[in-house]
Amino acid sequence: MQHEDPRNGESAHRSSKKPKLSSKFITESDIRDEFSHHHPRVARINNGSFGSCPGSVLTAQRHLQLQFLRQPDAFYFNTLRDGITASRKIIKDFINADHVDEVSLVDNATTAAAIVLQRIGRSFAEGKFQKNDTVLMLHCAFQAVKKSIQAYVTRAGGSVIEVRLPFPVNSEEEIISEFKKSIEEGKSNGRKIRLAIIDHITSMPSLVIPVKELVRICRAEGIEQVFVDAAHAIGSVKVDVKEVGADFYVSNLHKWFFCPPSVAFLYCKKSSSSSDLHHPVVSHEYGNGLPVESAWIGTRDYSSQLVVPAVLEFVNRFEGGIDGIMKRNHDEVVKMGKMLAESWGTNLGSPPEMSAAMIMVGLPSRLCLNSEEDAVTLRSHLRDRYEVEVPIFHQVFKDGEEGVRDKDGFITGYLRMGKRAKCFIRNEEAVMKVRAAFHGINICVLPSSDACGITQFLKNQTKKRKEHRRRKLYASWKPRNGESCCLRGCNEVESLGTYAFLLAIDKAETSNVGIGMALLQMVRIHWSMLDQPKLLKPWLWVKHV
Amino acid sequence: MASSLHDAPSAAVNGTFAADAKSQVHKKPRLYADPSPPLFTPSDILSEFSHHDPAIARINNGSFGSCPSSVISAQNDFRLQWLRQPDDFYFNQLQPKILQSRTIIKDLINADHVDEVSIVDNATTAAAIVLQQIAWGFAEGKFNHGDAAVMLHYAYGAVKKSVEAYVTRAGGQALQRGKQNGRRVRLAVIDHVTSMPTVVIPVKELVTICREEGVDQVFVDAAHGIGCVDIDMKQIGADFYTSNLHKWYFCPPSVAFLYCKRSVNNSDLHHPVVSHEYGNGLAIESAWIGTRDYSAQLVVPKVLEFINRFEGGINGIKKRNHERVVEMGQMLVEAWGTHLGCPPEMCSSMVMVGLPACLGISSDRDALNLRTCLREKFGVEVPIYYRSPKDGEEGGVTGLGMQSINLLTMHSLVLLFPIHKLK
Repeated sequence: MQHEDPRNGESAHRSSKKPKLSSKFITESDIRDEFSHHHPRVARINNGSFGSCPGSVLTAQRHLQLQFLRQPDAFYFNTLRDGITASRKIIKDFINADHVDEVSLVDNATTAAAIVLQRIGRSFAEGKFQKNDTVLMLHCAFQAVKKSIQAYVTRAGGSVIEVRLPFPVNSEEEIISEFKKSIEEGKSNGRKIRLAIIDHITSMPSLVIPVKELVRICRAEGIEQVFVDAAHAIGSVKVDVKEVGADFYVSNLHKWFFCPPSVAFLYCKKSSSSSDLHHPVVSHEYGNGLPVESAWIGTRDYSSQLVVPAVLEFVNRFEGGIDGIMKRNHDEVVKMGKMLAESWGTNLGSPPEMSAAMIMVGLPSRLCLNSEEDAVTLRSHLRDRYEVEVPIFHQVFKDGEEGVRDKDGFITGYLRMGKRAKCFIRNEEAVMKVRAAFHGINICVLPSSDACGITQFLKNQTKKRKEHRRRKLYASWKPRNGESCCLRGCNEVESLGTYAFLLAIDKAETSNVGIGMALLQMVRIHWSMLDQPKLLKPWLWVKHV
Repeated sequence: MASSLHDAPSAAVNGTFAADAKSQVHKKPRLYADPSPPLFTPSDILSEFSHHDPAIARINNGSFGSCPSSVISAQNDFRLQWLRQPDDFYFNQLQPKILQSRTIIKDLINADHVDEVSIVDNATTAAAIVLQQIAWGFAEGKFNHGDAAVMLHYAYGAVKKSVEAYVTRAGGQALQRGKQNGRRVRLAVIDHVTSMPTVVIPVKELVTICREEGVDQVFVDAAHGIGCVDIDMKQIGADFYTSNLHKWYFCPPSVAFLYCKRSVNNSDLHHPVVSHEYGNGLAIESAWIGTRDYSAQLVVPKVLEFINRFEGGINGIKKRNHERVVEMGQMLVEAWGTHLGCPPEMCSSMVMVGLPACLGISSDRDALNLRTCLREKFGVEVPIYYRSPKDGEEGGVTGLGMQSINLLTMHSLVLLFPIHKLK
């Protein structure tokens, strides 16, 4: 690799900063450091939208940005192209593509969709396709992809078929049968299906789709080309483009693969028509193949495309590498999803084997989510009031469709929980926050090193709420069966009117189930200690000692 | 020669920043007493660009521009804000901040309405946007096969390719000569400041001519425009005008504006990367084309602050750049016995200087080799342009781009050209 290796600087820095412990794997405190730039109090359960990028990769990226600014011409002539090729090679190996020419780097899946659909549009415009030939897509395809179809396919005279997926879903067969039905519809009246767009992992609601099977069905039914929109896939599920067998496959690396915003790869299986794919922003590289075209679309910051080597190094510091991360993400998110669903008496949107690092959890019908606006309002409320960031999905039922019920009514809303292995503690806190939020309890998490934090925090609260009376409580709960969570004895410290709990957790590795149980316990104690049943917005502090 | 090297820079410094001597004396107290920030001193400028490689003479400001460190800091702040809580930034901050940048640009270029100003990555993207709607015109039968798009012979490489990709492919003709055989000219693409070779084109006159000749739409590619020449949308009168802010307007890579005059003709403009904002107007579409780093688009207010700390603001900078680059160009021309590529009044902040024939540049490859040699052996970054000679003219020409920070560079270039040694 000709480009200056940005990792040299940062790994030297890291080893001087922290002596490596006996384990060669990344430790929890390393992880906390890597993500120390995240807002400390916000529970980020929405990893799916914008991802998260570790500090060491950001440092590598900054280094590259500075290199460009320092001498841009030299960077352009000597560093840029080779750096992008190096990233492409890594990705090619990762996704099991045959040739690096099949791998292009673009900004995001949105751009990849424009590339593929522009070509379809041209085929309609140039008469290669007949008017009313069809493009097939999932009903819950990403909004940008739907608009792209409108801009390039519908406008050019093509028609669109939407596959309506069932939700909540109980098995892959349900999806496969809906898909087959839609293909029949698409081929009716002598039309040809020119392109099928299949999500590997849908966005809202989030499900893992059995793409391999669906692509096989497409081939059997004579669908010319298949485009898999796998924006969420890499870092979430195993990606093997030869196994999937699609003509085009795109995934964002900045969602689940720790890259900074933004970078995605578009895989295009080599075929006779590969030379007719073009980046919509045309530079002097036009005609030199999509990977080369995409590597230069005018002067811009390409640094996020150059840090893939640094990201791979980061990922390999985890036990099991990316596979280990994926497995742990999946296990944790399913566990937490189940905990929430149980505590609310609701359901999960899909069985665990159809979720990867995200899961849909039914929201209590008591919340009365009746529209998209309600969902947006709830989301903003959770963000502003409770510092929880989580996407809310509102389900629209067709006439005659019935949803799942909980004890109070129909479940119309789901939250999408995304689990990131990096923050074991933070995500458990996040889950607690979400749960507590719905019980009307606020949780405030103080950094573990902050010994005086609680006192200071209380002082601030006192200033803010002088008129309220507040009581602090510690509750104790004895752990069972190796649970390492331990709560302390109960003391009334101050009485300021608003009830509060201070939960002191003994050790850093506390299982989420343990914390969840402790929280339940706290809530029960809280209820029992209230003189009046009406809640006065009590606060719950969680401090790690 | 050596001593002149040492003397000259300070002379240049003192000469140029005479006014700053005043601010230097009053610097600290004025900071507090005077509401407007003080003018830059030479050492301020050096520190703002301390991230540039000190061993390189950057004479190629035209390609990639230069961005001061205060603006880079502001940009990094925005990046960190995004990383800290991206959803919050997306919902609450991103759009208002882009709107703020667009409003500033609208005032700078004298556009009527902020809806006419969209922010895109670069002029290359703007070209794709404009040409794509021409392609649809052909595809949907609004234009007839054989209708033409006209562009300058010296149009930028990317723009030429874009015309090929969108116009020629859709059935149009790309012409360098005007309309022939009853064809209509649907679009004329005119550079405001050409790239290689660099010349300031009299766009206002050309636009008028286009209107008279019945050209449907005029697109001015002013990649080098803002910060280099005066731009006034209403005066120039084009339908589309694009300029990069990261070349001569101190923005980080990369950000450009595309001005689209409001009219019936161009309500159908779309960004080629389609997001959920499709159909909400080009400015809104361009402000969200999927998850990416938009921080470069958010620092325009900070850049304006930076520019206003130069005496005369952007106009002062343009004037000084122009004067200095012409002076330097003439010095080289005299030293080498060659000539300038065009008269000084057709130069902006860049000038073409003929290279001595004895260098023997006879192809593009030679030009590139010379450029690489200058970069690697002499630490000088300067673009070299080769034009096949017509009847006794020299082959090689070099383009020099002078930005206000380049104090020493020209002197180094003269020093480094003991020409016989290069052969």
